[in-house]
Amino acid sequence: MQTTVPVNVPNVPPPNKTWELSLYELHRTPQEAITDTTEIAVSPRSLHSELMCPICLDMLKNTMTTKECLHRFCQDCIITALRSGNKECPTCRKKLVSKRSLRPDPNFDALISKIYPSRDEYEAHQERVLARLNKHHNQQALSSSIEEGLKLQALNRAQRVRKHLEEPSGGDLGQPRKRPKTGSDESGAEQESHNSGGENFCDPPEPLNEVELVFKPHPNNHEDSEHGSQTSPADISESCARSLSGWQPSVPPTPEAVNEIELVFKPHPSPTASKADSQTSDRKFTRKYIKTTANATVDHLSRYLAMRLALEKQKEDVAGPPSVGTEEPQYTIYIAPTPGQFVALTGGMSLEAVNEKHWKVNRPLEMYYSLKK
Amino acid sequence: MSSSQNVDPASVAPQQREKDTKDTRRGEKHTVSRRLQQELMGLMMSDDKGISAFPSGDSLFNWTGTLTGPLGTVYEGLQYKLSLEFPQGYPYKPPTVRFETPCFHPNVDEHGNICLDILKEKWSALYDVRTVLLSIQSLLGEPNNDSPLNVHAAGLWENQTEYKKTLLERYEKDVRSKDFS
Repeated sequence: MQTTVPVNVPNVPPPNKTWELSLYELHRTPQEAITDTTEIAVSPRSLHSELMCPICLDMLKNTMTTKECLHRFCQDCIITALRSGNKECPTCRKKLVSKRSLRPDPNFDALISKIYPSRDEYEAHQERVLARLNKHHNQQALSSSIEEGLKLQALNRAQRVRKHLEEPSGGDLGQPRKRPKTGSDESGAEQESHNSGGENFCDPPEPLNEVELVFKPHPNNHEDSEHGSQTSPADISESCARSLSGWQPSVPPTPEAVNEIELVFKPHPSPTASKADSQTSDRKFTRKYIKTTANATVDHLSRYLAMRLALEKQKEDVAGPPSVGTEEPQYTIYIAPTPGQFVALTGGMSLEAVNEKHWKVNRPLEMYYSLKK
Repeated sequence: MSSSQNVDPASVAPQQREKDTKDTRRGEKHTVSRRLQQELMGLMMSDDKGISAFPSGDSLFNWTGTLTGPLGTVYEGLQYKLSLEFPQGYPYKPPTVRFETPCFHPNVDEHGNICLDILKEKWSALYDVRTVLLSIQSLLGEPNNDSPLNVHAAGLWENQTEYKKTLLERYEKDVRSKDFS
């Protein structure tokens, strides 16, 4: 009787089969653990794609990971996707037979709530915006909700720009990524994002070509005329940051490089303008810097101004209904090539053209505005 | 959730199930709007060359997109308008995309319907307005001549000089003269 006859089991792989290591696996080295207080700041922008569900484009919620290809989705999103579409991974088309091809990823959820502890707040805000959107369900509501988003981002930016100004100019560009512990994770990340051009989680990328505008009170009409022209860096930075993203060019950025131009904005010292100015003087209409594409036109500027003043007014009388979209006052924009001489600008002219035609000197463009009769 | 996997679906109380579907349906429109809004934000902030899109009217569910012919192809410099219609099941279901500007192309019929797999069976929830427009843009320069909707265009494709001549003639006749773009 033979009992030790070797049997060929079909399921067993050939014994000399080896795993092919990928290039990455061949070269990877372990990361050294950080044991001191060193913090590594990571731009929230670079995290965005990692923490976002590619289906709903929001932050991952109840993360599910595909077991084989390791792609992450919100639980609701991937389950709906599997139920309503092909049984494959939406990211890479790998077969996903059922929910069993997925596993919950609580570690990832914990990571997100660590990075964004204020997530609930963010979501509540989104809810409100969407609720309003659904109520009106028209383009105007849509654009105002976008505005709202931009305002929120501007608040974020205000902090960053202030930090930026406190530092000696240019000194922050070459900073190494590792830096001593200074505060919470969040603030570190924010500062880093400023240095590297990164953005906050919900921030859009900034337009490439920008013009800087400076708003300041006209010295003739203001009670603080003596010191009014000298505002503190904090004032400038705050208003700068607020206006930075309040200005959205309706012209898409052109691929051609456009020069940066700086502008100063003041009320026109004429009788009609002082009316406009009286609206603003009690609100301390201080210098404001804004950035926009250089191909923005005088029309854009005047529309921006109308909205801006309306918003300031709205902020004053909080109880008042939102006035965006209802009759905005029209403004005429002037430039003063020499003191006391005012040239009204035509609407279609781009800021770059204005600069070339009327200004030429290498300092901020000074522009004036008055209410259109 | 893993425990619920082994529960016989038939054993769930019918009322409970009914309520579930209702809730999902109500939530659906909400999430579709939300996603479309996110996409719009992204598109407005991006600087993609040669494509753009914006809701065409009061509804977020109908958009108008524009794209320009890819550089280095016979379509270079031509501009096309498209309509995008999003179903309630978006992004799990593809949008209906049509050329509004008449388009002479092997995979576009005379009504502007586009034959493109990712808009049909190869749709994935990961596609969005941006990737759809980019795909259509690259389809212009790389038609699939094996399953043409426009047989004439498909037959002509081999001879690029002749194709370009016909294309430009059509564009001139159908688009420029009628101020379509």
